[in-house]
Amino acid sequence: MKKIISFLLLFAFGLSGCEKDDICDANTPTTPRLIISFYDINNPTVKKKVTRLKVIGDGQTEGIVFNKSALDDEKYITSGDSIGIPLKTDEDTVTYSFILNSDNTNADLVNTDKLKFNYTRQNVYVSRACGFKTIFKLDTQTPYEQTDPTSDGLWMQNIAPINLNIEYEDETHIKVYF
Amino acid sequence: MKHTLKYTFSICLLLSMFLVNAQDSTATKKIVQEKSKAATKPVIQEAKTDTVVPPKTNRYGLRVGVDLYKLTRGLYDKDYKGIEIVGDFRLTKKYYIAAELGFEDKTTDDDRLNSTATGTYIKGGFDYNLYQNWLDMENIISIGLRGGFSTFSQQLNSYKIYNANPYWGEEPAIAAGQKFDGLTAGWLEVTAGLKAKVFNNVFVGFSVQLKLLVANKTPDGFDNLYIPGFNRTYDGNFGIGFNYTVSYFIPLYKKKVIIPEIQKSSPKK
Repeated sequence: MKKIISFLLLFAFGLSGCEKDDICDANTPTTPRLIISFYDINNPTVKKKVTRLKVIGDGQTEGIVFNKSALDDEKYITSGDSIGIPLKTDEDTVTYSFILNSDNTNADLVNTDKLKFNYTRQNVYVSRACGFKTIFKLDTQTPYEQTDPTSDGLWMQNIAPINLNIEYEDETHIKVYF
Repeated sequence: MKHTLKYTFSICLLLSMFLVNAQDSTATKKIVQEKSKAATKPVIQEAKTDTVVPPKTNRYGLRVGVDLYKLTRGLYDKDYKGIEIVGDFRLTKKYYIAAELGFEDKTTDDDRLNSTATGTYIKGGFDYNLYQNWLDMENIISIGLRGGFSTFSQQLNSYKIYNANPYWGEEPAIAAGQKFDGLTAGWLEVTAGLKAKVFNNVFVGFSVQLKLLVANKTPDGFDNLYIPGFNRTYDGNFGIGFNYTVSYFIPLYKKKVIIPEIQKSSPKK
């Protein structure tokens, strides 16, 4: 009898130790962004920081937010050596303008390159709280198409897709040399 | 809300155990009293012969019933249809073989997923009656163990894509309609409940169950969010459940209660 009761108690407390599972944990890998890392064209093994880069999707008015805590336009601008850009989860292509020295007063220094990414999508179950995620696979033939809309020369001198499967954000998918 | 429910159940269970404890202690007291009476042997024997009380008998038989909660829920919850037949058979003075048989069809609407689980289940095990009945009372406060098994199918109705960076806007729910057949699950459960005789052979009762999932065949690319008989699944292996039953007792035979039996069993305590 006593044994059964203690077993029941254990069971009851065990239950209260369950984890909350109706909020999607931020650490759960969900829909990944495309991770682009920048490298020095003259020294290809060394990462290089971009200067005042702004990335705007075609048809969008605002850029991708790189720095949530920054104020006003500053939050759209990055000077890091890698960026993550969201792909469309309902279309197989997405086009972005990459604007270097975006807020420079000297118009000659501002350089815009356009990249169109081609990929296939797959929706994968994650959990009750998170629902599904979309994972992507860049097209093997033409993973990207580079254009120069402002005819100011291409600042991305070499683009190397190194990982076509976009499943996680902790790895680089495309290397850009400049 | 769900967690509040969970805690309520835990607390209910704990409380019910205190109830059980209280019952137990009075029972032992009674036995102790009887024991002390037994010490003055001649007196009790005289008393026995003096009062020619009709001998106390225990009725043995089969009790069958239905879970009213599952049955009535279908009336007000359009996402739910279910029935559960419960039955127990009195094996010894305190032990009952018990089983539940049920069918459930439940649509679960989570924030990001909408799925329907349909299937049947069977649970079997025993109940142990902790309640010391007076005279010809036949009430039951029991704890028991069950093994449960369910065979079911799941249909994913719609889902949403979780995107932490909704630069291109949040996508609406995607209709899927994918069906996963041939799913099975097995679990163990501890149940605590009570049944009270309301009139003649009719009993009403309720029980709470704590469940531990031991086997779970999940479909490829999805999960078992609801298992008929087990109810909602959580991240861990735990589950909870309860039922509210009305049952009818079919008496099959009677056994006389032999008083020395109590004295024999008392030193065990």
